[in-house]
Amino acid sequence: MESVPRRIKTVRPMAAAGKILAYAALGLFTLVTVYPLAWLFINSFKTTNEFQMNMLGLPVDWTVDNYVGAWKIGEFDRLIGNSLLYTIGATIGITVFSLQAGFAFAKIKSKATPLIYGSLILGILLTIQSLMVPLFLEVTILDKLLGDLLRSIGLYGGREFKLFHNTRFGVLLIYIGSALPVGIYLSTAFIKGIPDAIIEAAQIDGAGYYRIFWSIILRMSAPIAVTMCILNIPGLWNEFALINILVSDAGLKSLPLGIFKFSGSLSSDYGKQFAALVIGMFPMLAFYVAFRKQITAGVAAGAMKG
Amino acid sequence: MIRRNRKGAEGRRAYRSMVLPPFLIYIFVTAFPIALAVILSLSNYNGGKMFGGEPWKIVGFEQYGKLFADPYFWNALRNNIYIVLISVFGQLPLGFLLAYLIYRKIVKFGGFWQGILYVPAIISVIVIGIMWSIIFSPYGPIADAVNRVYSSAYSAKVSALLRSPGGEGVTDELVDGIIDISGSTVGDIFSDPRADLKDFLQSYEPEDLPMLKEDLVNLFAHKWNADFLSKPGVAMIPILFVTLWCWTGVYLIIFHANMQKIDTQIIDAARIDGATEMQVMGRIVLPSLSGTLLNAAILCISGSLSGFALILAMTGGGPARVTQVLSIYMYDTAFMGAANYPLANAIAMMIVLFSLVLILITFGVEKAFGGKE
Repeated sequence: MESVPRRIKTVRPMAAAGKILAYAALGLFTLVTVYPLAWLFINSFKTTNEFQMNMLGLPVDWTVDNYVGAWKIGEFDRLIGNSLLYTIGATIGITVFSLQAGFAFAKIKSKATPLIYGSLILGILLTIQSLMVPLFLEVTILDKLLGDLLRSIGLYGGREFKLFHNTRFGVLLIYIGSALPVGIYLSTAFIKGIPDAIIEAAQIDGAGYYRIFWSIILRMSAPIAVTMCILNIPGLWNEFALINILVSDAGLKSLPLGIFKFSGSLSSDYGKQFAALVIGMFPMLAFYVAFRKQITAGVAAGAMKG
Repeated sequence: MIRRNRKGAEGRRAYRSMVLPPFLIYIFVTAFPIALAVILSLSNYNGGKMFGGEPWKIVGFEQYGKLFADPYFWNALRNNIYIVLISVFGQLPLGFLLAYLIYRKIVKFGGFWQGILYVPAIISVIVIGIMWSIIFSPYGPIADAVNRVYSSAYSAKVSALLRSPGGEGVTDELVDGIIDISGSTVGDIFSDPRADLKDFLQSYEPEDLPMLKEDLVNLFAHKWNADFLSKPGVAMIPILFVTLWCWTGVYLIIFHANMQKIDTQIIDAARIDGATEMQVMGRIVLPSLSGTLLNAAILCISGSLSGFALILAMTGGGPARVTQVLSIYMYDTAFMGAANYPLANAIAMMIVLFSLVLILITFGVEKAFGGKE
């Protein structure tokens, strides 16, 4: 009985030092994470003049002029509209296509499955960004070829034929394609876990595969569908490298492209730049606050691709 | 028999219509561009007849030869390797360590720390890149804070000197004193420091003393030119720092979630038998996470290859191209100045190859040292 408390006594100081060190480490990380963002937010309420005089303190006069100015220069309503369209459209596309393919791979027997599924899964290892130049050439060449073809048979008389490059369709197609490998991998694994008996019972009742997919599988796959949406939305919303080469029309640009403009010609107007950066990060921060649990769970599944 | 046949046909039809559309889209964004990159990297394509250029043909491995002879290629590759190294040997261990502290309840409020540290990963890297480029710039807050310290130190010294003569009599002693505390900057501004500085000091009226002090501080106080991002030798360091800053939280969350799956009885038993926290971490937690570590490493590598947007926003690949990674090198080759599509496609092939090599190494390491999961 005597020896137990004594052992604890000798261990304690070490453990306490460890604890302090642990708190210090996490505290430091948290400070380094939060401080720059808080600094950015606070400075977005200073005029550029005040920022140059007073970089670290609170604003003397809080002003929202930066936001008004940045919003107008950046045309953020259009950027956010486009970003919403790309994000929602691609998310729906990714989810539906992934679940359909996952259902076919998991529940319909076919000799083609190993080859097709295998080549799709290989895509998980590929960073589509590394293909941005060939992708750009692909979309521009295809548009040109298709335009010339349609013109030669008299079906198209316009100046420049656009299907893949500088179109919303092209952006959506490439966004969907780049997220399919992970999506199909997740859905196939999930749908494999749905008992065959459910599908067989539906077949005996006369339901075809399509009917089974839309009325049974889709509903039962809700958890994995939610995971896929949650995982894809931030990545799609923040995507820059691909849309940067796919779109040059101002009317089609997304939020990250619009923000990037503030790093070049407008970089000396710090006030507006800060406001633009805050506008740029606000939607995803709100999304994070709203869905933190689901995002954390989804990321934890190890499925998120950088 | 008939019924089964009908079912088989229905199954084939359903399979085709469910698998083909996504598969074709996938081919459109991966296989097709890769094939295009292979062909064009071996060609002299620069628009071709279609876009009003010269007809093009296959010329062989010419571009690859040019690429390997280009010092900027090796520079970009080296930067990519730096980013991979900071990702694999920075983000992963730090994420693991922090996850362990939270998992073992060595610190309280685990959810809070996790929630905060993940925030950078959810924000656009364009926003993050621009933000940090301001913070690290010579006009940014770091330089500002440091220079404020320098100014106030100098201002204190000047005040001490100016107090004794009271501002009216500019003695040689005062001039020498100011030259003394100002270092080389006086010599940079005045050609004949002692005489010119004396004239300068005499040009102020006694009641202008505060103004004189301020002017002296502005002129002579030591200024630190915070050229993190404009000095070739060090410009990669802020980029590596931000890479670490941005993604460590992701691995913290991945590791923490997978630690939850470990049977706590094993850890409790080990603790009772006298194992230290370090032993628990090294002998129990680390081996049971080896599969997760492999996945995380792959994620990490493919993520670090896409440093494109961050670097574009932070430095644009500058100064003098020293912070280029392969993707920026490729982008510049294709879209900046005179377009060289064959070379850009050769770079694309090298990036694909590079990532494959890295992933094979990762699998190899896992096979050699991996534990059981």
